[in-house]
Amino acid sequence: MSIKFKLNNKDIELNLDPSMRFLDVLRNHLNLTGSKEGCGEGECGACAILLDGHIVHSCILPLANVFGREIITIEGFKETKRYQVLADAMLEEGGSQCGICTPGMMIAAESLLSQNSKPTDEEIRIGISGNLCRCTGYNMIVKAIKTASKKGDGLW
Amino acid sequence: MVKHAIPKNVSEALNYLYDGDYKVIAGGTDLMIQKRNTAELPPNFNSNILYAFNLEELKYVIKEKHQLRIGSMTSLETLLHHPDVPQLLKDVIMEMASPGIRNMATLAGNIANASPAGDSLVVLYLMDAIVVLSSIYQNRYLPIEKIITGPRKTVIQSNELIKEIIIPNHVVTQTSWVKVGGRQADAISKVSFAGAITIEDDRVVDLRIALGAIYKNVVRDRNIEKLYRQETIAHLKDEVQNVLSHYKDIISPIDDQRSTKDYRFKVALNLIEDFINKL
Amino acid sequence: MKDISISVPKEDHNEKVSGSSPYVSDIKMDHMLYAKTVRSDHAKAKIMSIEIPPLPNGYFVVDYKDIPGKNYVKMIFEDWPVFAEESVNYIGEPIMLVVGKNKQTIDDIIDQIKIVYKLLKPVFEYKKSVIHKQFNKGNNKQVFQKQEYSISHTYETGYQEQAYIEPQGFIAYPETKDKVTLIGSIQCPYYVKNAVINTLGCEPEQVRVIQPSVGGAFGGKEEFPSIMACQLAVAVRKIQLPIKMIYEREEDMEVTTKRHPSKITLTASINSDYKIEGIKAHVSLDSGAYIGLSGVVLARAMIAATSAYTVDNLDISGDVYATNTVPNGAFRGFGAPQMIFAMEMFIHHIAKELKQDPFTMRMNHLAKQGDLTSTSGLFRDPIIMEKMIEKATEISGYHEKVKAYAAPSVYKGIGMSWFLHGCGFTGSGESTHINAKVKLKKDENNQVYILVAAVDMGQGCKTSLKKIVAQTLECKLDQITFDNPDTDFVPDSGPTVASRTVMIVGGLLARAALKMKETWKQDERMEVNENYVQPEYIKWDEDQMIGDAYPAYSWGVNIVEVEVSPITYQTKLKHIWSVYDVGKAIDKRLVLGQADGGIAQGVAYGYLEVMNHEKGKLRQKSMTDYIIPTSVDMAPTDTVIMENPYILGPYGAKGVGELTLVGGAPAVALAIELAIGKNVYKIPASPEYVLELMTDEH
Repeated sequence: MSIKFKLNNKDIELNLDPSMRFLDVLRNHLNLTGSKEGCGEGECGACAILLDGHIVHSCILPLANVFGREIITIEGFKETKRYQVLADAMLEEGGSQCGICTPGMMIAAESLLSQNSKPTDEEIRIGISGNLCRCTGYNMIVKAIKTASKKGDGLW
Repeated sequence: MVKHAIPKNVSEALNYLYDGDYKVIAGGTDLMIQKRNTAELPPNFNSNILYAFNLEELKYVIKEKHQLRIGSMTSLETLLHHPDVPQLLKDVIMEMASPGIRNMATLAGNIANASPAGDSLVVLYLMDAIVVLSSIYQNRYLPIEKIITGPRKTVIQSNELIKEIIIPNHVVTQTSWVKVGGRQADAISKVSFAGAITIEDDRVVDLRIALGAIYKNVVRDRNIEKLYRQETIAHLKDEVQNVLSHYKDIISPIDDQRSTKDYRFKVALNLIEDFINKL
Repeated sequence: MKDISISVPKEDHNEKVSGSSPYVSDIKMDHMLYAKTVRSDHAKAKIMSIEIPPLPNGYFVVDYKDIPGKNYVKMIFEDWPVFAEESVNYIGEPIMLVVGKNKQTIDDIIDQIKIVYKLLKPVFEYKKSVIHKQFNKGNNKQVFQKQEYSISHTYETGYQEQAYIEPQGFIAYPETKDKVTLIGSIQCPYYVKNAVINTLGCEPEQVRVIQPSVGGAFGGKEEFPSIMACQLAVAVRKIQLPIKMIYEREEDMEVTTKRHPSKITLTASINSDYKIEGIKAHVSLDSGAYIGLSGVVLARAMIAATSAYTVDNLDISGDVYATNTVPNGAFRGFGAPQMIFAMEMFIHHIAKELKQDPFTMRMNHLAKQGDLTSTSGLFRDPIIMEKMIEKATEISGYHEKVKAYAAPSVYKGIGMSWFLHGCGFTGSGESTHINAKVKLKKDENNQVYILVAAVDMGQGCKTSLKKIVAQTLECKLDQITFDNPDTDFVPDSGPTVASRTVMIVGGLLARAALKMKETWKQDERMEVNENYVQPEYIKWDEDQMIGDAYPAYSWGVNIVEVEVSPITYQTKLKHIWSVYDVGKAIDKRLVLGQADGGIAQGVAYGYLEVMNHEKGKLRQKSMTDYIIPTSVDMAPTDTVIMENPYILGPYGAKGVGELTLVGGAPAVALAIELAIGKNVYKIPASPEYVLELMTDEH
């Protein structure tokens, strides 16, 4: 079945089983391995991508549900200025240790900041509440997103 | 061979459902996990699948004079930020799962899944929600408690699609939602409580209590609620142990990997007591 | 010279934040096959027969009969089979691999495999002791016979699952017909290499282990990966094609090693001045079906018996009990978290029973420089705990809050733990087991290469070890290269465990860098090797467990403030304060990162993470059911690092990695205790347990 959608700003058409996990479409068919599998049940957020600008878990997203929509993965996001501000903030605040949750956190941050460009700490915590991290205890990630929202004035 | 249908509109969807035996999937946040296969393999759907999530026609929130109509494919996250959605429903959604799940989850999906621990169901029961089931023949309007018959069991026919959820307007003085999960986000409820009371001249006009994850489906007993109509608030508070003894008889929690029946039982009663004490 | 503690940009930041850092499951190879493990359904059984369906072309079964060398995984205790032979001892024990190109076909084959078992009676209680240890300090007999007060309590701790966000996995492939190369999510390249050599019965040159990016480990990837590696190496030998095996989360949770559950009984003999003259302790650890590292975990737990206190007379014993459950293993802290929980609760309970102020009683027993350690070694180096405690209580308002929250029906609490962690391998392990070697190379362009087996699994050792070398050579950081270890190119500097990487491996690199600097030949190739030499003064008797168990100790204070709901019995973390002495922070930001992550795990171990089994079957085996903290569960943290340089550590550094987890559980348990006005004896102090305590009449 032919599924048409936009991926990282490019039009794309795939002829694959529509029930396939979108995470597998990305990793195995499109060689985009920036989205990771940490749990396979939408719990850890390591597979997070943006669907029409909103965070979703690609490991429980059937390919059919992206029909006609716009998807941005970490590979697409990293070409933007917003990414750079977030990445720099993560470096400054120590928000990334082993890195496996980091692409998902970046996606969650982008999803949050595009809805709410000046979030409170509590709102940031809620924004990343679907992204599990075992290394950092979250606080440095929260600080990084706060810093990015301050430094990226006007970007979001 | 499994057939996949991605209908462009509701009419096409209903035709598919009439013609063949399709299982409807909305956001997929429940079904993709329930039917999960080995990683990198497609899910074990074992039936034809109709993907309803992208039916734009079913994404709406319409405020009418006496009710709120919610299109079945509206995401929970959209409801969370919509000005016309009652605060009690927002309170529930806010603590459900996580943003990523809320962006794909729908009330329709929650209803069709009929999980005993489903949070939104508790409040839909409390608010006397009506579910609209559409087929090519007709629209059926059923109260939510007639839709769900048991854990993961509904009366939804294979040729029907959940079209809309209707929430009647409800003048209310105080509401309460308490979700008790294993942690503060991303948790399946161990027990949940929704309460609503309408007070006039210091008397109970309407009292509603619903409990989740405490039985095979949501517990709400209108007979118990009726007993306390017209009582003064002070009297209701005095009667609180009586109220609890009624609910003790109708809740039957279990031990599982998340919690114990003793805990669920005690906390459910504490939540009812706390609601009444804080009036 | 610049202060080394000043933070620098983390080495691998760009690749991690962009998702381009390659973890093992991101790697693909031509002609790659998949492997899936067939496992025991029973906790204890004899395998009577196995019926394998006819296999399609290109599909294979690999089992113990394919093992050319030894069918056990070489780790500390050699009892863990690579593949089960005649019997199985836990639910999930691996029996064979099914290997092939298509995952669906593999599943179909597994569905048709018929295994006939004869069920035997499993053991789940602390009955079968497989390791017993005991040590004494001081003069016991008199002390335990006649003292004014004798108080005894038993404490229990549960499982803790590492829950690294990247599940375990490997790719193994035939580099040549005779050489197997393995790429896997690991902490110890040489543990894996040596285990595979043992199982293949081959020469060292025939095995190569490469570390890709590792998505968290926490000890869970210390010894367990060797099992997967041995299984895959045997499969590659047989099939001669690349094979990938990545565990899914549920499989990972069900069958990989976890923190040992424990039961610890403490008895104190106290004199009329309220001084604890002697402590008798017994530590029971549940090792699961195989012993593996459990003996060392027991040793570390026992040695931590008096935590940050000095008690002159000790009778400490311990047993490792085998049960028919998943084998347990290394997890950050390695026995210390269990013991420190017990001891911290105990000293508070003693004080309460004797109607003494716990803070005063603890201060009276706080260890000082020059004291004998629990194993009659010496605290040679300065101890700054008094300053640390003062700082911690000041920034948290601890004393005022303890008074305020003691009032009934306030349901707020604050708890403080004091603790230490021995840095490096216990006792003579560095010289008897490891014998670390490091190498520095320099090319004609004066680029310096760090060649060690240390794995950066997020703790940032790539950054910290580079800093140590750069600081010593007085050169820029980008003049140093530190590639992920590949056993074909790096010497065995030992496993990335036991909080030894900065102190021991970094220490060796500092010495090597100094040598390189002193003999520097500009624009010429150089190579400097440095081997571990045990400091003269460290004397340790392994059998008697007497002497210096560790070369150095790091110290910590944790304070946790909570609110407990009297309606739902849930605990909400409000704030966490910590003060640490790690000698010298090689990079402040990295140490603060370890502090935040460690305390999150330590506190969650104390109140949130529940894992139990029913007749040997784990009940929580997914990220949904095994509850770790989310961002909303965590409280703000304030951490202070106090300098107390260790003379033998590089730039004064001691161990960091485990220290920051070890004190979290007692701090939160004591906070909950204050909030509810009832003694806590078990962790996790879950809402279900809090309900029990609050409705208990006793």
